Amino acid sequence: MIRECMKKNVFAVPVTASVRDAVDLLVSRHIGLLPVLDPDRRPVGIVGLRDLLNLVLPSAFHLLDDVDFIGDFGALETYQPAAATLSQPISTLMRPATVVREESGLIRAYAIMLQHDLHDLVVVDENGRLSGIASRVDIGAKILASWQ
Amino acid sequence: MTALVLSILIFVVCLGFIFSEKLNRTIVALAGASLMVGAGKLLGFYAEQDAIVSIDWNTLGLLLGMMILVAMLEPTGFFQYTAVWASRLSRGSPVRLFVLLGSVTTILSMFLDNVTTVVLIAPVTILISEVLGMSPVPFLISEALLSNTGGVATLVGDPPNVLIGSAANLSFNDFLVHSLPVVAVAWVAALSVLLLLFRDELRKVPANQDAVSKLDPGEALNDRRSAIRILIVIGGAIVLFFLHSFLHLTPAFVALSAAATALLVIRPPLDEILQKVEWSVLIFFGGLFVIVGGLEKSGALGQLVSLLETGVNIPPVLFGILLIWVVAGLSAVVDNVPITIALIPVIEGLGNAGIDPYPLWWALAFGAGFGGNGTIIGSTANIVVAMLSEKTRNPITSAIWVKRGLPVMIVTCVVASLIFLVAYPWFTK
Repeated sequence: MIRECMKKNVFAVPVTASVRDAVDLLVSRHIGLLPVLDPDRRPVGIVGLRDLLNLVLPSAFHLLDDVDFIGDFGALETYQPAAATLSQPISTLMRPATVVREESGLIRAYAIMLQHDLHDLVVVDENGRLSGIASRVDIGAKILASWQ
Repeated sequence: MTALVLSILIFVVCLGFIFSEKLNRTIVALAGASLMVGAGKLLGFYAEQDAIVSIDWNTLGLLLGMMILVAMLEPTGFFQYTAVWASRLSRGSPVRLFVLLGSVTTILSMFLDNVTTVVLIAPVTILISEVLGMSPVPFLISEALLSNTGGVATLVGDPPNVLIGSAANLSFNDFLVHSLPVVAVAWVAALSVLLLLFRDELRKVPANQDAVSKLDPGEALNDRRSAIRILIVIGGAIVLFFLHSFLHLTPAFVALSAAATALLVIRPPLDEILQKVEWSVLIFFGGLFVIVGGLEKSGALGQLVSLLETGVNIPPVLFGILLIWVVAGLSAVVDNVPITIALIPVIEGLGNAGIDPYPLWWALAFGAGFGGNGTIIGSTANIVVAMLSEKTRNPITSAIWVKRGLPVMIVTCVVASLIFLVAYPWFTK
């Protein structure tokens, strides 16, 4: 069960937090994903490094097959999102939360992560409240350990 | 009389649907063609055989051949290569970058489909302007406007020219002799207007000019071998286009033979190539030919011709200039293909009635080509550039387009009108 390999001490932001609050927490705790919680601690979304870094990627990035021909990203290397973007509520950037219950099997959890292209999976208790988070490494190592 | 009224009604209703964009234009053309043949059979003025004869297979063959060649060239990365090469040559100067990207897009779209050219060059343009810390808007708008303008220069540069060339039996060289000089002046005028309108944006000196020198065009070329082979075939086709009237070859034969040669040499996955061919465009053209064919058979176009003949007492030069502006005005707000297809039999009729049709053919080509620059919906290239810009931090709105595109449309039409006025005999045959 995923309960056995998840991290229980989870950092999260309330849905009322700003983009800047999320940035501060991700940097200070050196983590990759934050669940966004409603007042009852139920996950209503997730926001990760990827969602924030999208703000500074070239706008044509997804239109090009590759960007190898650019030897130096020039002004893009120092580009920063506008202050107005950073003070927006986090709900403008968050993705829908994909969650599993604590008793979910490990292979099921891994399959869900792959399908939704997630690196961390949010785990909830029977009331739908945040109870932990498990990374691909947490889940994968636990599965492999059973082979030993 | 019933045939006359019914055929006009079908044509007008179809045009209404195409212009309102309430229904997909290809569906309208196909449904309209079926209605026209149905009505023709019922009233005895038009039958299946007439409909097949009314389709201009030379136009369809030329478009199909060129579409296959472009579909094969696209995955090689050649279009991106040219944009990266032009950008490196600019050495980071915004004005040089502006002129070079505009020129490359124009030259490519004189021989190849300008929508494909713009679709493939625009993402590279966006990336490079962001690397320089500049807004991509001036570059994107000018690429679309200059490629629309440049396309008017050649027989294969844009669909109205293909239609006009085929109907009037104008060769590739006829376009080079009569259209290219006008387009060359109009293009320089358009570029000057754009440089003036974007002077504030282009005056900024980018902080990261050196980044442009680290661009590697070679990295953008995915398949050098295939690119070279397809370009040799396209080069051969262009040589044959120069010679087609001497060798008595139709442009369609040249384009389709070139496509066949490229397919034989490269042997790409055929399904993938055929999926990139714009079948909806070809069916749209076919449907319109059948609709206008019915209009001709019912005698409606003959009536319009005699009406114009008796009503037009103005000098032929002014009539030509008027045609440029009317067609340009229409092309700015609606698709220029149905306008061209509908006006072709009218000009043919005027020719049969003793009026010199050649100046009118050129007036139609200039109006249809330059008119598309006026608004964001005036040409497919404009729409595509605007859609791509929506994915960037500086989306192009309809209002921004009109501020830059309308002056370009007006200036190019003024240039065409002035040359028409001064050198009218040049446009007669």
